[in-house]
Parts: sequence; C-alpha cells; structure tokens
Amino acid sequence: HGVRRTRDTQQALAAKRERDKAKLSAYLVLTDDILIRACTLSLLHNLFTRTFKKNKDWSREAFGLTTQLLSTHTDVINPEFYTIWNYRRNILLQRYLSGKVCHPPHISIIRSPFILRSSPDEIHEVLDNDLAMTTKLLKVHPKVYWIWNHRRWCLEHIPEGPNSANAQAWRLSTWERELFIVEKMLEADSRNFLAWDYRRYVVASMPARRSDKAELAYTTKKIEANFSNFSAWHQRTKVISSLWASGETDKASSLQKEFALVQNAMFTLPEDQSAWLYHRWLIGSGDDKVILEREIEVVQTLLAEQPDSKWCMDSLVTYKLLLLNNHLHVGSQESINVTKQCLALLAQLEEIDPMRRQRYHDIG
Amino acid sequence: MTDLEGNFDVIILGTGLVESIAAAALSKAGVKVAHLDQNPYYGGDEASLTLDELARWADVRSESSENSGKSSSYLTAQRSKFTSISRSGVIPDHSRHYSISLSPTLIPSVGPLISSLIASGVSRYGGYRLLERVGIYSSNSGLQNVPGSKEDVFKSTLSLIEKRRLMRFLVFASGDFEVSKELQGHEQTAFPEFLASQFSLTQEMVNAIVYALAFCSSTTDATLPAMTRLRSYLRSSGRYGASPFLVGHYGGLGEIAQGFCRVSAVNGGVYILDKKAEKITAPLPASGEKFVVELDDFPEPLTADVLIAAPDQLPTGLCPPAQTASLSIIARCTVVIDKPIPFPPLLSSGEGPSEDEAESAPAAEEGDDTGGLTSNSTTQPEASVEAPPIDTSVIVFPPGSVKGGSSTRVAQAFTTGAGTLSAPQGKWKCLFRYVVYLSSPVADGEDPEQLLKPYLDTILSLTDVSEPLFKVVYTQHVSPSSALIPTSTQSSILVSPALPPHLAEISDSASSVAERLFFGVVDTLKAKNPEAWTTETPNGESSSGDRFVELKVPMWPLMEGPGEEEE
Repeated sequence: HGVRRTRDTQQALAAKRERDKAKLSAYLVLTDDILIRACTLSLLHNLFTRTFKKNKDWSREAFGLTTQLLSTHTDVINPEFYTIWNYRRNILLQRYLSGKVCHPPHISIIRSPFILRSSPDEIHEVLDNDLAMTTKLLKVHPKVYWIWNHRRWCLEHIPEGPNSANAQAWRLSTWERELFIVEKMLEADSRNFLAWDYRRYVVASMPARRSDKAELAYTTKKIEANFSNFSAWHQRTKVISSLWASGETDKASSLQKEFALVQNAMFTLPEDQSAWLYHRWLIGSGDDKVILEREIEVVQTLLAEQPDSKWCMDSLVTYKLLLLNNHLHVGSQESINVTKQCLALLAQLEEIDPMRRQRYHDIG
Repeated sequence: MTDLEGNFDVIILGTGLVESIAAAALSKAGVKVAHLDQNPYYGGDEASLTLDELARWADVRSESSENSGKSSSYLTAQRSKFTSISRSGVIPDHSRHYSISLSPTLIPSVGPLISSLIASGVSRYGGYRLLERVGIYSSNSGLQNVPGSKEDVFKSTLSLIEKRRLMRFLVFASGDFEVSKELQGHEQTAFPEFLASQFSLTQEMVNAIVYALAFCSSTTDATLPAMTRLRSYLRSSGRYGASPFLVGHYGGLGEIAQGFCRVSAVNGGVYILDKKAEKITAPLPASGEKFVVELDDFPEPLTADVLIAAPDQLPTGLCPPAQTASLSIIARCTVVIDKPIPFPPLLSSGEGPSEDEAESAPAAEEGDDTGGLTSNSTTQPEASVEAPPIDTSVIVFPPGSVKGGSSTRVAQAFTTGAGTLSAPQGKWKCLFRYVVYLSSPVADGEDPEQLLKPYLDTILSLTDVSEPLFKVVYTQHVSPSSALIPTSTQSSILVSPALPPHLAEISDSASSVAERLFFGVVDTLKAKNPEAWTTETPNGESSSGDRFVELKVPMWPLMEGPGEEEE
C-alpha cells in the first residue's frame, strides 16, 4: 500500500532525457560493435550451414553470443530478430540435445522427436536458464511473439525427471510455474492477447488438467476487474462452449446467467464493444425465439435510456433481422412491422455513424 | 548573512500543517527560519496524539480559565476554539501505539498536497494507505457500499437502469460540465435537487452521490462547487488504486506536518518546541527594525524581518480581529473500538465467483483422465468466504438516515485501524483496535455528545460493541477565510487562516494556503532587502527568484539525490 513514488513531470522528463542520451551514446559505440557482430552472425550462418552437414561441434562462443545479443543488449538488439532465436535453438539442439536415442517417443508433449546426449540434469538446467532469461525479457517486451515461441520450445523439451520415481516432477512444476507467470503478465496487462493465447496453450498442454469451471471462474475474475476486455470474454466463449458440450453445465440455466452478466456490462457502459460482441455470440443464430425476443426487449430498454447508443441500434437491427429470417412468415403483418423498424433504425444509424453509412445502406 | 545567532529572516509561530509546509519551502529556498510552537508536539491543531497526549489535550482545554489562574493567550484562544469537551476516564493499554488525529483527513491522490509531498520529498518519510471502502447508511437498508468506479457499479446490486443512469452521471461529472446544457441555470441549485431533476436518479443514488462521493455537508450545498469537488475526486481515482483518497500513517496530517518540519530542519530551519513566546515586539512600519521575540526561559531574544503565525499562537495585542464571518462549528466524537465495522461484501452480478470456486475444487478432486494428476488450486485463490476486515473506511449518514439523528445535517464516521499505524495490532491477531472519528456540523450551544449519540449507537450496534474503550467528545469552532490576514497594510505579519473543516478538502487547502504564505513572505523579504535577492548568494538564488504564473513549480526546487523507485 505504498505510494508510488513519482517525480515531478519536469524532473521525470529531464531524467528520461539523460537516460536516453546515455543509451544513444552506448548505441553509437555499439554500432561498430554490431557491424562486427553482424558480420560474425553471417559468419555464423555460414558456419552453421557448413558444419551442420559436416561436423557436430558447436562453439560455446556462438551460444554465448546469442545470449549476449538477446539479453544484454535488449535495448539495442530487437528481440524480434527471430533469426537469433532460431540459431539459439539450433545450437541448443546440437549442443545439448543430440546423441543416441534413449527414450521412445511416448511423451506426447514433445513434438519433435529428438535424441539425447547430455544428461537430463544438464538439459533441464540449460532450458531452465533459457526460461529465466525469457522471463526477464518478457517484462520489457511482453508482446513479442518470438519470445513466447522460444518458451514454448523450451517447455516442450523439458525432459522427464529428476528420476524415474518422480518422472513428471520437472514437467509438472515447470508448467505450473508457466501458468503462474502468464497469469502474472495478465494481471499487469489483462488485455495482452498474446498472453491469453499462450495461457490457452499452457492450460491445454499442462500435464495436470485444470477444470473448465476453474477456467470459468478465472474469466469471471478478470471481467469483474475490468469488463472492457475482449480476451476475457473471448476466453469465456471457449470455456462455456466446452462446459456445454461436455454436459458439465446445464446450458439453459447457464445461458440465463451469461445474459445477466453481459447485460450488466452493456448497461454499465454501452460504448464498450466487447460486451456487445459476447451478447451476439450468446444469441448465436437466433434459433430460440423466446430468448431472441426477450433480448430485443432488453436492448430496446437500454436504447430508451441511452438514445444515442450506436451499438444498441446496430444490435437491434441484427437481431430483428434474425427474427425476420428465422421466425416470421414472409408477408405477415408482424414481419412488415419489424422490417419497418429495422429501416428506421438503419436511417438513424446512418446519421449518427456516418463513417459506416454504406454498410447501413446495404443492409437496408 | 547574519552576525547575530538569534537573527533570522522569518520566525514562524505554530507547527500546524500550513506553517510547516511554508517552513519547509522557505528553508529550502535558503531563507533562515526559526520555527516555534508552544506545544511539546508538532502539528498544532492538526497534530497526531497518543491516547495519553489526547487525554491531556482535552483536560487542559476543558479547565475553565478562572481555575487555572492566569493562562496564556494561546490557551484562551484554544478554549474558545474547542468547547464542550468531555472524555472517558480510563485510558486503555498501549496508549503509545495510538496516533489520534485532531484533524482527520482524506488526501486526494491528485491535488496540491500530494504534489507538495512529492516535490518536497516528504512523501518519502511516511507511509500512506488507500481508503478501502466508502459506505452509506440508511435506516431501511443499513450499511451499503458506495460504488465509485465503473467496476464498482458493475459489481453493485443496483438495477440495470440505475447502473446506466449512475454511469451516465459519473461520466458527465468527470468531464467539462461547466458548459453543458444540464448545468445551465442550475449552478446554485441545491445539489440533491439538481441530480433528481436532471438525471432522473433515485433518492438512494442521490444520497450516495451527494454525501458519499462529493462529501457535501448539508441538503442545501450548491451544485457547481459540489460538482467541481466531485470531478477532482473522480479524476483522482486510479492514480494509486481504485479509491481517490489516501490516508496518512500515524494519524495523517500530524505526521505530515512533522515531515515538513524535518525538511525544514535539514535545510537549516531551527526548531524550538514547548516554549511560550512571552513577548513579541513588532517594529514600527517602514522603520527597518526587526521583530523581537522573547521566549520563556530562553537566554537571547530572536529577531526576524517577517513573522508568520497561526492566530492562536500570537499574543493578544498582535492578533487580527476575530473573524466571525463563515463560522463553521463541528461536533466531534472520537472513539476507540475493538471490532471492525462489517461492510457488506462486494458481490458480483450474475454468477458469484464463490459458486464457481466451490464447484471447481471438488471437480478437480474427483480425478480425471491423467490418472490423478490434478491442479487443485486456481493460481490465485479467491477469498470468497472470509474477506479481511475493512481497516480504513468512511461511512456517511445522510440527513434523516438514523433515528434520532439530524434531518438536515450529515454525519460522517471515518475509521482507521492498525493498517494506518494509528492503532495497535495484536501479535496473535486477537487484538483489533480501530479509531472511529465521528463528526457532524452542529449549532452553537448544542451539546455535541447528544447530537452524535445516535450515530455512535448505530456504529456500536453494527460492530456489536457495547462500549467504546475510549471516547473524547468536543465541539470545534472554525472561522476559515480565504485571505491571508495582514494585521496592517504595511505589516510583515502574515497570519495563516484556519482551514475549512471538510474531510477531503483540508489537506489541499493547507497546501494552497502555504503556497500563498510562501510567496507572501518572499515578496516581503525582497522588498526589505532587494540586494540580497539579486546576488548569487544561496539566499537569493533558485526558486524564489522566478515569478511565473504557475507558482507550484518554483516553490520546490528540483531534488537531487538517489532516484526514487516506482513502487
């Protein structure tokens, strides 16, 4: 509960300028260095293509070079320079993960069959180090695909261990930790969709399955913390679908609860897209007439409260069209009324949302 | 610049918050400051006191002047400021572990005081806690949580329409409403009326907004000032957390005043507590002579060009005429209780997380395909059953909300516990102590104890406490004014005005007033010794030289020193 210690804006700016200056001069000093390294890298490349075919000796220096470039000089070297990541993995493969076949590939997590030469302890240690390194990098660059990829690769190559009695221990703890780390990242930025996607991957790959209900609770927590969050709602669609499919949750009652939850978000902040999109997903193809008509009512109530809400009007048009197409007889009085209502709404939409006039016009 | 030891540029009488901020700024600017206080503690009327000190404070002021014989002008002034004092006889254990504030306050996260705290470095000396909860009481529904952010509104139990209307108002209130059509013509309307008519809000929501978000003190507060205050609070939320308000450790303002005094001392300010200024000789205007302050038991008199004083600490002869305009009278009742106030939990809407949590645990334990390897815990366990007790809170009692209470005035209960280091904490979690500050506007002559009794009883029944462990009751008379009071046109005495006794406004008022004092002193010193300010002596350079319209920046020179870490 401490007070975040902030500096006076002027001071902060001045300090930042100093830091940037320092970085810049370091960068300039390094530029020459980098040119040399770039040459080294292309040399490496040549070395790689040549030695891969001939010789399996992998210099420690090459590995060290990639470490330096990726972790020491993150300010200067772009971590999205994926070539370096690839080299690193190749070196790892060649240096640590080559040798005779020791285990039959019944370990489903591991995608690429590989051959072990180094001891499992060594492999575990080296991969652990890489995971630690990427964790640090993620704090600075939380949205770089290549760092997440490298983590996936490391995770998938964690060997069995530490011993045959405790064969899954390393993997269990590594994956658990992975979940913890990604959830920490989501706490820092709950809208980092890379992290959400990565989390789905972790949850699917973990040796210990997490229940769908626990997953649902997690999305609830995230939505309550801040419901303007596409990813949390999106995750919910996946989890709920799975719960319905497996029969673990009764679809009818769960659907009621979901509508209540999303209506809450819609009424609190009608400008927020994510809630509307979730609502659309819940309506789906509009097969259930009762639900469809009920939700149209709800949206109409909201529109009465907030007459300028674009999303209300847009959703009403969408849902009424569904009603028209699925449940109303062509030419019936009701269908004529609904058509009129839609056209009126579309006219309003053209006015308040001129950027999308053509779309509304087309729908009309 | 001086030959004589006792010669200063400025002598400041009283270590209240305003004077302390000014002392720190002046010392930092190179001005030689002597800072005196009759009391043996810092903080003056904003001080943080232990229970023993508080008892003594109450006793000294409740003695009538006849009995105590000749009393100083300070005590006489204090006795008319604090009246109808009574306290419980027994002082509980661990008196030293209490820090009771004479001026309990919420500090907005964005505002002059926070800026001064940060710019001066005083923020490093103390800790702060976010206000955890604001509640509102009504006789129908008891104690309810007050939503302040969109997440709060989302989770609250209001109806959908109510949520929409509340949100629409909050968005309006955070924006530039001065030019809005809703406000035109209603600037001076009573705030509750404005809300009901322009935003179709229910009585319940109106109460919550008026009394628990904008902290109005009566049913007739005008709309525009209330909206302006509300906007500054709304814009403060999110800086350090959901709540717009911070509560200082160790009683808040008293500790902060002490922090500013420390800054002053570090920069050369001289501190003398617990000494009466027996005699103060003011120089004749334009004579070039100095003020002479003679202290009780002090060998040498102190001299200075300028005098700053809290009105109570000036001898009667030099006091400004009593200001009776806009007199505020507040009834206060400060109690110590041993149980937390139970707030209703912040429910989620739709499905409760507790439901899912409870279901997920057994689902995991049932075992699954991977042969018993299950992850039993959600990574962050929800405290769905036992939420920790609320340590720091404000409860508002709107008019007519309590049987026997006022139907026109608002009462507030501001509670701080061990989390703000203002009450002791038991080692084995069996000792809970909370300080509850009850307050309400009161009419002159009305008995404060009787006025506040219904509210105290309500709190006691909510917490299931039969008797508070300690109680102090008194009436505080405050005559705030916005102008610095010069005692004569050519005078170099600057008297700090009293502060408006508003829970969330005192702190920022103090900082603004201190700023005006600072520049007032600077102007006076420059007028007296113009040469000193044009040379490059430490006395004349840096902040005080600059005369920008934006006064805040030059008041605190840029700080050197180790970079502070972001928390």
